[in-house]
Amino acid sequence: MDKETLKQKIMEVFQKKASGAGKSKIYLKDLQREIPEANPRDIKNAANELVKEGKLEYFSTGSTVMYGLPGVGMGLEAGMEKPEE
Amino acid sequence: MGEVKKHDTPLMDDLKSGPWPSFVDDIYSYAERHKKQACFDILGQMELSYKNKETHWKHGGIVGVFGYGGGVIGRYSDQQEKFPAIWAFHTVRVNQPAAKWYHTSALRKLCDMWDHRGSGIMNLHGSTGDIILLGTVTEQLEYIFYDLGHQLKMDLGGSGSNLRTPECCMGMSRCEWSCIDTQDIVYELTMAFQDELHRPAFPYKFKIKVSGCPNDCVAAIARADFSVIGTWRDRIKIDQEAVRAYVGGELKPNAGAHSDRDWGPFDIKKEVIDLCPTKCMFWDEGQRKLYINDAECNRCMHCINVMPEALWPGDDRGAVILMGAKAPILEGAQLSTVIIPFMKLEPPYDNLKNLLYKVWDYWMEHGKNRERLGETIQRIGLNRFIVDVLGIKPIPQHVKEPRSNPYIFWKEEEVEGGWTRDVAEFRKRHPA
Amino acid sequence: MSERPERPDPIYTQPYDPTLAEKLYNPQKPMENRITDIGPPHYWQFLPPVIQRNYGKWKSHEIIQPGVLKYKAHSGEVVYVVRCGTPRLETTDYVREICEIADKYCDGYVRWTTRNNVEFHVTDEEKLRALLEDLKSRKMPNGAYKFPIGGTGASVTNIVHTQGWIHCHTAAIDASGVVKAIMDELFDYFGSHKLPAQVRLALACCINMCGAVHCSDIAVVGIHRKPPLVEDERLDKVCEIPLVIASCPLGAIKPATVEVAGEKRKSVRVNVDRCMFCGNCYTMCPAMPISDGQGDGLALVVGGKVSNRITPPTFSKVVIPFIPNEPPRWPTAVKWIKKILEIYSQNARKYERVGDWIQRIGWEKFFELTDIPFTWHLIDDYRLAYDTYRTSVHFKFTSHVETVTDFE
Repeated sequence: MDKETLKQKIMEVFQKKASGAGKSKIYLKDLQREIPEANPRDIKNAANELVKEGKLEYFSTGSTVMYGLPGVGMGLEAGMEKPEE
Repeated sequence: MGEVKKHDTPLMDDLKSGPWPSFVDDIYSYAERHKKQACFDILGQMELSYKNKETHWKHGGIVGVFGYGGGVIGRYSDQQEKFPAIWAFHTVRVNQPAAKWYHTSALRKLCDMWDHRGSGIMNLHGSTGDIILLGTVTEQLEYIFYDLGHQLKMDLGGSGSNLRTPECCMGMSRCEWSCIDTQDIVYELTMAFQDELHRPAFPYKFKIKVSGCPNDCVAAIARADFSVIGTWRDRIKIDQEAVRAYVGGELKPNAGAHSDRDWGPFDIKKEVIDLCPTKCMFWDEGQRKLYINDAECNRCMHCINVMPEALWPGDDRGAVILMGAKAPILEGAQLSTVIIPFMKLEPPYDNLKNLLYKVWDYWMEHGKNRERLGETIQRIGLNRFIVDVLGIKPIPQHVKEPRSNPYIFWKEEEVEGGWTRDVAEFRKRHPA
Repeated sequence: MSERPERPDPIYTQPYDPTLAEKLYNPQKPMENRITDIGPPHYWQFLPPVIQRNYGKWKSHEIIQPGVLKYKAHSGEVVYVVRCGTPRLETTDYVREICEIADKYCDGYVRWTTRNNVEFHVTDEEKLRALLEDLKSRKMPNGAYKFPIGGTGASVTNIVHTQGWIHCHTAAIDASGVVKAIMDELFDYFGSHKLPAQVRLALACCINMCGAVHCSDIAVVGIHRKPPLVEDERLDKVCEIPLVIASCPLGAIKPATVEVAGEKRKSVRVNVDRCMFCGNCYTMCPAMPISDGQGDGLALVVGGKVSNRITPPTFSKVVIPFIPNEPPRWPTAVKWIKKILEIYSQNARKYERVGDWIQRIGWEKFFELTDIPFTWHLIDDYRLAYDTYRTSVHFKFTSHVETVTDFE
């Protein structure tokens, strides 16, 4: 599978997850499970490129890092608003 | 810079006294000199923690720099009104130079940057080995990253489910026992795996640590998913003249490590020969000569540690590769276990890199979320990991002892005639 | 081999420009001027010339006094190393003072050890003497040494530790403060060689154990003792419930639908009888805080090591299951650590690490000698617990054994 097709597939997984199950963040592992025909390392590389392009973003509560669609679900700094100056 | 607000911190102040260097004295001196509110606030919040016996940091979300999935740990105070200067107090992990050698020109410039962009508080070093810059706000992160890259030629370290910053002992830079070039190995691996270090790649964290000899000064066997420990497979080198000098009391045993207590005169039989775990040594009093049966030696380093002027590791040097160590979360602590008993390590270390790729390919596909490599190996069995995953021949060195139960998961192809049997045929021989 | 830059990169002698990053970084075009994946500075440029010349060609070393090592190269060259303890948690001013010393005596080269000590290198004895005098004279405003010399040989070297309350959200105890309290009390052992072998101390502020605490001669581990709270009104907004459930190693967390202000909400319930207080759920879910001023405290573990010397690397074992948090100086914990250290010092043989000594005399003797009460908490009931049960009649009669005559 070429890289662009793989990237497209990855984006489809995210859109499906976000609209269907309402799951906004997923692990790299789960992404790999959704696209079993691709090599895990290729998926990692493609997903990381999508982050660089601004189409995905990283998310973590301090443990394993997840990927999410920018602006969907919990934000990066949920509940961490800066107090009024 | 306006007036700073100081807090009353009697409990923290108590830690200014005593002979050991006081971080409280240091932080307060710095806060006064630089008029840094964040430093007063951090000690104010610490004081509150000392009063309540609870941490006052919120559960941090990830913050970071564009395109990296690690290197910054988000941290927010839950006392934002009391201590507004530390409402956000993120940590930046900066990849340390191998074995933590520095020139002051680099350190001073890093300090200048951190005065300007952060709290001025740091750790030299974090548990994984990184330079830790403690305390900045989200808006500064990109600028810090640009300063690191453009002005300091430094980069971030690993966090989350990335490769963590590899670490090594001082190796050949000062140690006569280092069987491998730990610093060069760590540098090469770190450079080769920049993508794995900066972007999430794995089910969970993955640590690589490299020690030059079985003394394992960087605790590779206890902490690293992938532990590289230098060793040798030929004979221990002996300077008999120096051995006699130890026996005669002219040289201090163990390099003088026991100098403040009278342990009596050095007794080579009691202190070396009898403590050898394999009993492979012999001191011939008549000949005044030390004999080592090297084929029986398990290279524990004790004799070499005791007589550093007389004994050295041999010349056929390489490393033991062990895998799977981790702290107790969750299935209990594990030490790394032997996978490859002897591997030659020469630049550019392609054999080591290939082995890592092989391990990662399997773990990325079959490891569960938040499962360390050691737990994956446990789950599938060390035998399967060695034989089926890595294609390595199983040998007695892989275990302390063979299994005591005969519950062996035979493979069908190992059993003559396979597993398909005819019940009717069976009953012909054995009427029910 | 990677290319070795001979001298420190000239970029480091150019002054720091606090305005440069603002000129280079454009939030609208985040890839502009972005330098990524350059890795750490090459180590070779930071090695003193004497180290570069003799790299991989060292012959032997000697500890000429506590904290001072002398390395001899095959070339005949010699380098002296002075090792000093640091608090690890320090300011840029403290680091600048280290730089000032390194500039004055060591041509600007300096190194840190794995255990948070800083090391200064000189090549002649004259400079060594001046350096030692200088280091000893540097004190903090309230009298603490800035750079205590020691940490070599049969000593208590610096404590490997985690962040604690200065920075961690899962910490059950502080780290830097506890370390300071312990090292103040054990200060004499840092700067001397009077123990039977080296004693490695470590501290982890929770059982995530960011350091190699689990293989230390004596270590402090922060623990929780109350199950997590469950914030029903917040949980489904800030946590991925399936991940929270999966995070529990004992399967003690189940999904639940609850009513909050008349509204049905998704949340979880914790089977508290199965909770082992590991805090893994809190790592996954901010709406399940576990810290508690009364519940939290520390455990002491002893007898572990990482070196292969004589005996194989070993895990530390829990000997005191709980000591409450007693800021600012944790006197009970410090008292027990000192007691264990001194009993070990009086009873162990030369070269015997804490764990080797205990293996020789037996754990029952250890508990008798140290007066540490043995309670049910110390008998393992987690994974592989059976491996720790006594499956022989080899034991010693200590004060613990009461002769049983009648048994009702």
